Amino acid sequence: MTAGDGVRSLRLDDFDVDGAVRDTFEVMQCHTRSIFLRRTAGAGLAALGAVAAWPSEASAAATSDTAILNFALALEYLQASFYTEAERIGALHGALKQQADVVGGHERAHVKAFRQLLGSKAIKEPTFNFHGVTESADTFRTTAVAFEDLAAAAYKGQAPLIKSRSYLAGALAIHSVEARHAAWIRRLAGFLPAAKAFDEPLDAHEVVNIVNSTHFVTLQDPTTSSQTSPNFTG
Amino acid sequence: MAAGFAVSFAVAALVSPRVLPSQGLVRRLSAPAAASFSGAPVARLPAALDIRRLVPLGDRLGASRWAAVEHAAVARSRPTLHSAPVGVVPARTPDGTTNIVVADGEADSGGQPWVHVSLAMLPNGTEGWVPRRALGGWSFVDTRLVINRARLTLTLWRAGRVMFRARVGIGAPGTPTPAGTFYVRDRLSGFTDPMYGPLAFGTNARSPTLTDWPGGGVVGIHGTDQPNLIPGRISHGCVRLANSAILRLGKLMPIGTPVRIE
Repeated sequence: MTAGDGVRSLRLDDFDVDGAVRDTFEVMQCHTRSIFLRRTAGAGLAALGAVAAWPSEASAAATSDTAILNFALALEYLQASFYTEAERIGALHGALKQQADVVGGHERAHVKAFRQLLGSKAIKEPTFNFHGVTESADTFRTTAVAFEDLAAAAYKGQAPLIKSRSYLAGALAIHSVEARHAAWIRRLAGFLPAAKAFDEPLDAHEVVNIVNSTHFVTLQDPTTSSQTSPNFTG
Repeated sequence: MAAGFAVSFAVAALVSPRVLPSQGLVRRLSAPAAASFSGAPVARLPAALDIRRLVPLGDRLGASRWAAVEHAAVARSRPTLHSAPVGVVPARTPDGTTNIVVADGEADSGGQPWVHVSLAMLPNGTEGWVPRRALGGWSFVDTRLVINRARLTLTLWRAGRVMFRARVGIGAPGTPTPAGTFYVRDRLSGFTDPMYGPLAFGTNARSPTLTDWPGGGVVGIHGTDQPNLIPGRISHGCVRLANSAILRLGKLMPIGTPVRIE
């Protein structure tokens, strides 16, 4: 799983604290491909749905809802960090800066909402290394298109598994916003905002594999603290 | 693609608020239709999911960024592999912690991003360009530390506000604390040497006189076992605080904080 010095790949275990998502996948392997895809999509929606749940409904939801919520939170951490870093570095201007400011505010709101709903069960935010893609307009624009398309597909992939009606409402509320983000940045990048009549979902494994391929998630902080005696001049 | 954009813009115009009826009318038109579809009321969102509320950045003024050095790199005078080397940026500090750099600019050279950083070497203030791929992810801080050698004070600022102030001991005339702009790059604690007190911060500043000191003469900010000497010009170049003060500073000052010694 090591992708480089100080870098470890994202794993399902990082957010699937109770094994629910893994169990879901193992069960799904016994089904046809079409059923597998539907159920994977359902699991994802359950996570998204959990975000929308009232506290009383959240406690009544299945444990897999927590795993799905944490899966969605991991994606929101990734997106929020990406936009926040771009905003802070300040390499964007004009329409692209406006997009980053607004979408960054949305993604941070999503993180805040997921963390509020998950409480002590929320996964810790990993550390990210965007390898310079936030430092120029061209690389930011390309990466943002990929992130927003990925988020829309990931939320769509999880939706069918949501058990709570309120969770589902929440999932759809976020999904449509992610789709608007995708259309916005696609237009700024010169792509068709809506290229197809029907979008394909992505299951959690596919999403994790795509995120891992970027090496944006490091999951390890630098060792800037130590209990060694200083060599300072005194 | 142009045709596609034309269509999308036309649709956008159709749903634009400028041509839509009032929101009240939209609700009157859509709500009965939804109810007749399912026979059930629309599920409501919890307050936590009110994503109409943007979450803005914190105070952006004065924020600076730092990154861990993942791979040792040669710093160069310009952002190209062919320019003159200025120094080496190691992956580890002399204390064994992860080395970090604070960046104040970036450039693209042939598709490869470069970052402009301050180095931990003599002469103090040496700067250079390092390849972005040698560094980890960015962290951001909105604190800055100012050490005034004339007044023997240390002041921590955050987002334009004074967070902490203390009297300090600085370098004696023969071993002066160097002036310049530096940054905090590591935090050491749990050691047994009482000379440094309970906590010590390392910086990228170097003593201009104690060049043969173990570790190269790193200037630190730390506690002391001789609080009676503070304030004063009594150290080998480090900035000394009373132990209570360094512990308080330790709760407020993150790694990567810029340090100006004036």
